Amino acid sequence: MNRFRTLRLRTLIDALNAAPGERVFVTAWVDEDEHEDVTFAEFRRRARAQAAQLMAHGVQSGDRVIVLMPQGIPAMTVFVGAMMLGGVPAILAYPNFKVEAAKYRSGLAGVTANLSAKLVVIDNEFPEELLGHVALGERSAVVRLNAESDRDVDLPELRIGPESLAFIQHSAGTTGLQKGVALAHGAVLTQLAHLAEALQIDDRKDRVYSWLPLYHDMGLIACFMLPMVCHIPVVMQSPLEWVMHPETMLRAITDYRCTLAWLPNFAFQFTPRRTRRERWANCDLSSVRALINCSEPVRTSSLQEFENAFAAIGVRKGALHSSYAMAENVFAVTQSEVRVGTGPRKIWADAARLRRGKIIVEVDQSPNAVSFISSGRLLPNHQLRIVSDSGQVLAEGRVGEILIQSDCLFQGYYNRPDFTAAVLADGWYHTGDLGFQLDGELYVMGRKKDLLIVGGENLYPQDIEEIAASHPDIHDGRVVAMGIYNPELGTEDVVIVAELEDEARLGRSAEIEREIRSRVVSGLGVAVRTIILKPPKWIVKSTAGKPARSSTREKLLREHPELKMESQESQFA
Amino acid sequence: MTPEAQQMKEHILELIRKPSLTIDENTRLVSSGLIDSMALVDLLVKLEDLTRMRIPPGKVQPKDMDTIALMFATAQRVGKPQK
Repeated sequence: MNRFRTLRLRTLIDALNAAPGERVFVTAWVDEDEHEDVTFAEFRRRARAQAAQLMAHGVQSGDRVIVLMPQGIPAMTVFVGAMMLGGVPAILAYPNFKVEAAKYRSGLAGVTANLSAKLVVIDNEFPEELLGHVALGERSAVVRLNAESDRDVDLPELRIGPESLAFIQHSAGTTGLQKGVALAHGAVLTQLAHLAEALQIDDRKDRVYSWLPLYHDMGLIACFMLPMVCHIPVVMQSPLEWVMHPETMLRAITDYRCTLAWLPNFAFQFTPRRTRRERWANCDLSSVRALINCSEPVRTSSLQEFENAFAAIGVRKGALHSSYAMAENVFAVTQSEVRVGTGPRKIWADAARLRRGKIIVEVDQSPNAVSFISSGRLLPNHQLRIVSDSGQVLAEGRVGEILIQSDCLFQGYYNRPDFTAAVLADGWYHTGDLGFQLDGELYVMGRKKDLLIVGGENLYPQDIEEIAASHPDIHDGRVVAMGIYNPELGTEDVVIVAELEDEARLGRSAEIEREIRSRVVSGLGVAVRTIILKPPKWIVKSTAGKPARSSTREKLLREHPELKMESQESQFA
Repeated sequence: MTPEAQQMKEHILELIRKPSLTIDENTRLVSSGLIDSMALVDLLVKLEDLTRMRIPPGKVQPKDMDTIALMFATAQRVGKPQK
């Protein structure tokens, strides 16, 4: 059983120190012929060595440390090394060759300034051509740390407790970089205790597989902190290698008999569609007891497609699960029941009643019904409210904004009381997501906010709009960016609609479109699927004179029905 | 352009569904936003077919796939004979 519940732990470092030294903790998987296994004892030794290097650079208890290293064991040991000194690390996305140096610099300068980071740690192989990407706030310094160090060192006694800050998580995008979710050791340990209980973690049997980035809550909490605290091994590969060779996930799970993995919705569809049968025919996924769909609205069709494709190699009905999670609550709020072998509950609701009255009325499957998948029940010590636009608490079966309260909720965004006040009131976190409750389970329909989720990454439309609006042919500020669900990919496509300065410029649409595309990719690293240029006064304005996102979206989909590829189940998401 | 590169070009044009677009061996695909990272898997599989090589994971970065010319150079550099 889960030993973790019986241990009295004060900090994440206590949890790591309690792990059996000889047990393998992290396997860094490159391919069938190349991988590295690191035991808990070896991981502790390397983390201590990194802590000694950080200490030599002046890091003390409470100092923020930004880790800018590629996915792998060195990044993980620097992260833990910082915590061993009482420091507060934050892992950020590694620079990507698509993103222009100037854009990356301004994002990084902003975050180092907001965190007043003592150090930005980069790896020895940090590309020379991207050094220009590293910009710093006034009191920050940048250091390269050796990935390996042979020294075993003693560190000063750690004087921190459950209430001390452990680390900071960010969501992606330059807008998201200003929102550092600050989490205390106690909150993280509490969340992990709840999660371990809900998942029935067994430290002698479980093993996690992950390609998820460590700067994201699924990668950091479920696939790094959970294994570290519950003393279970994790097999890890880089997100880029997975996306270019999705069959490697099946191979790694097979070779290591992994039992648990978390995936964003699109991966359930992307993997079967982009992997040739001859590459996975001899894989065996029968060891998997929970593959958890998390972070995007869970879509029935995506889970079904994965199950249909891989049932032949051992994916059991009931091994595919769902969860509703967010960095602000450390991680999970709900989890589908893993003890029963059926997987999350799926319902059909009357589409007309839903559209008219935001009411869920269960019906049999029919062309007039829409389906939803449950995200499961609340974790222990969690509360939930569904509220209307006017803030009224709604009954079961009514659709509204999801509010949560828990004993592991964040205290606020680091150094940004303004952002915190906008979402945290009377101990309730306003998630900005829409959903409903039914028979004690939560169903998440999508976002009330305008956030786009592309391939599991969060994108803020404001960031995309700002870049598109900077083009000289675009009328200032008259741009709306949105995500439109692409059932082919199982994720959202980025679509931009923008007004030109004058109608005459429509003749140069192809050229302007190419330039905007290239600006967005160099600014944010994301490819835009469709750019639609319109004459002046096309975009719908709000009463305040700003572009109104939802009305503009409706108008665009009316005029361009070809954009709307949404399947029946997702039209309300 | 070699016949293989020509076939890759046609495959890419089909993938991005922009018939009006002209691309050549040196057109930047990933860094210009024409191709997103989720499409790279299709290009790798096509590259393996066209070169009759196996391109091992862990040896290729998206920047190695930015142009048609780079793709074939990458296959030469890291490709192994197909099993």
